[in-house]
Amino acid sequence: MPIGPFGIDPVIWAVLRLVIAAGLAVFLVLNGALAQIFLERKIQAVMQDRVGPYHTGPFGLLQTFADAIKLLGKEDIRAKLTDAPFFLAAPAIVFSPMLASFVVLPFGPDFVGANLNVGLLYLTTLGSMTVLGIVIAGWASNNKYSLMGGLRSAGQLISYEVPQILGLVTVVLYVGSLSMVDITNAQPGPLVNFLILPMAFVTYLIAALAETNRNPFDLPEAESELVAGFLTEYSGMRWGIFFLAEYGEVTVVSAIMATLWFGGWHGPGVDALPILGVLWFTLKTYMFVLLFIWIRATLPRLRIDQLMGFCWKVLIPLALVNIMATAVLILAFADPRLPLAIVNWILVAALVFGLPFTQRRRLLRFRARTKERVAMRNVRLAP
Amino acid sequence: MFDFLEPLFFAIFSVGIIGAGVCVVILRRITAQALFMALTFASMAGMFLLLGAETIALFQVLIYVGAITILILFGVMFTKQDDRGYGLFFQEQTPWAAAFTLVIAVPVVFLAFSFKDPITPSAKGGDLIPLAASLFTDYAFPFEIASVLLLAALVGAIVLVKRDEQ
Repeated sequence: MPIGPFGIDPVIWAVLRLVIAAGLAVFLVLNGALAQIFLERKIQAVMQDRVGPYHTGPFGLLQTFADAIKLLGKEDIRAKLTDAPFFLAAPAIVFSPMLASFVVLPFGPDFVGANLNVGLLYLTTLGSMTVLGIVIAGWASNNKYSLMGGLRSAGQLISYEVPQILGLVTVVLYVGSLSMVDITNAQPGPLVNFLILPMAFVTYLIAALAETNRNPFDLPEAESELVAGFLTEYSGMRWGIFFLAEYGEVTVVSAIMATLWFGGWHGPGVDALPILGVLWFTLKTYMFVLLFIWIRATLPRLRIDQLMGFCWKVLIPLALVNIMATAVLILAFADPRLPLAIVNWILVAALVFGLPFTQRRRLLRFRARTKERVAMRNVRLAP
Repeated sequence: MFDFLEPLFFAIFSVGIIGAGVCVVILRRITAQALFMALTFASMAGMFLLLGAETIALFQVLIYVGAITILILFGVMFTKQDDRGYGLFFQEQTPWAAAFTLVIAVPVVFLAFSFKDPITPSAKGGDLIPLAASLFTDYAFPFEIASVLLLAALVGAIVLVKRDEQ
């Protein structure tokens, strides 16, 4: 009889491995969400000069656990005129692609669910499936605020998928592989991809904020305009699952950024002790989670036309220029790192310094137009 | 050991494609139809996976489920919704439809049963590199034609909805 790992029969092991992996992913998502909600509340509290949760447990650590139990215990309410099968299915459609994303995340050396050779494409694909659930949720709720949220979500996510993929393509061009493990292995030293391809990182970061419905782009659930957008009719654990999915998405997106631009599991001491890679990977991922929280506490929400205009008129052209430059430089130079870095940093500088300039010009034009209109009205109203 | 899995998944995907396809045609509610269409596309992606073409499978899901279905739903949400009479386009056209279907179905069935030696999927490396190589060498011209067509459609759509800036 063949003996598999740990002396278990290979047939049983194949099934057992599946169960363990799925259980581990669910465990990671649940605890990650709890930790992120706690961090978010605490950090925002500090930034807004408040205390934040502090009654339950030391430093309020148990507050999110209490909230989760409260959510689980809530009455299951469904409005009468909702479209039952879709209303019930929508949270699952949002949650399951996010959970499936954990398969290809490279947590550490030899600590990957599956080393797909198209891992990055797989992650992008699953990210794009979330939209379907949100649109269905907005439609099935039979509520105009929900519908508006669903519509905004569809428009926003489809538009921002383009710069997101363009940002990833630049890295893939440079590394020459779509596998998450290969991309990690390509940046072992301190010279991580971020130093060479910062423009792709900026593109992806902005697109990822939009893709996860995080703050400057949280139009689908804008509280001050749409009650809660597509979440309006949801309550209890169904609402909770949407939030689990959102925090899971943030984790996945942060993990992608940590892997592609910051060397994934690589860090001091990993060669001697491979399990340390998991620690480095987690730290790098949570660095971006913290960045997301910081952005949420800092920036106001965009208007929908600003959002679309920024995506199609600024982000996509810059990303296309970046891809073109990257492809040409990789073909032209045997060691393209230095020219790539120079071009990329110039593009980042163009974005950072050009944006306020163009915005100021637009604002001046707008003011001039308003003044003209007011003047015309005064002429008409004059006796 | 797990040889039974492949036929099992084939059966699941087949039922998914055919069943969901039938639902798209006969159901009345347009959101349900859109969702079933997404299911059809996803099952087809599963078929590509079984054939060892994982890149095509993922693009199938990315483009058809993630973009085209959403765009259709987007369009549906902007149009006025009321109950349409069932089979608006298929009244009194059953014999024509049957004849037309037979003309297509018979050769397809013959083709399907005449396959003796299906191509075995490539063992290692997947279909990513062959796909990319053929796309940029043999099929570069059709690929470019398709992209120019899409660009023309994009520009046309923008021109159609553009308001006069006065």
